[in-house]
Amino acid sequence: MKLQLSHFQAMLLFALAISIAFGFLSRRPALERLKYIGWSLLMFLLIGIGIGWVMYPFSR
Amino acid sequence: MEETHIAAEPSEHKAKSEGMAFAVGLAGWVLPGLGHALQKMWARAIACFLTVGVLVVIGAGMRGNLFTAEGGYAFAALGYVADLGTGTFYLLAKSLEIDGPDVSRADGDYGTRFLAAAGVLNLLAALHAYEAARGRKA
Repeated sequence: MKLQLSHFQAMLLFALAISIAFGFLSRRPALERLKYIGWSLLMFLLIGIGIGWVMYPFSR
Repeated sequence: MEETHIAAEPSEHKAKSEGMAFAVGLAGWVLPGLGHALQKMWARAIACFLTVGVLVVIGAGMRGNLFTAEGGYAFAALGYVADLGTGTFYLLAKSLEIDGPDVSRADGDYGTRFLAAAGVLNLLAALHAYEAARGRKA
């Protein structure tokens, strides 16, 4: 089995899996879970992309 | 005599439930989600099983490094502990990585992180199941 993912796809899948797990473990009502998963996913992506841009000047 | 018997009962019950909680936590580590399933927390059980499973499958698919006991250095030992956190999914990852790891590319390096994250996530879920079995988490 061999998977070829772009950096963004890998980050998206990682963020999604972790956000879902954290959402289900830490919140109980369905709406609270959904809100938590959404926020967590958004923060993962924004911070990940933000760090990527911060590192851009040093990348070459 | 009667008084001693009555006083001994709650602590005996406590020890029993503590042992049961430990068994639930252990089950959650062996098979992701089982600790919650045993407590009829179905949504959490399915979420744990699927998220840990997806991370393991992707990590192995990207040919991440699955650490073994013969690491030889501290980071490898830590990686082994993290990978072992996936319980029986460690064997699944091993069976999926037929060609072995390849960390010469970024993909393989990311795969290593996916596998380690899956293990740590499962340990967290098992701890959550243990705490829930003790009645300390809803």
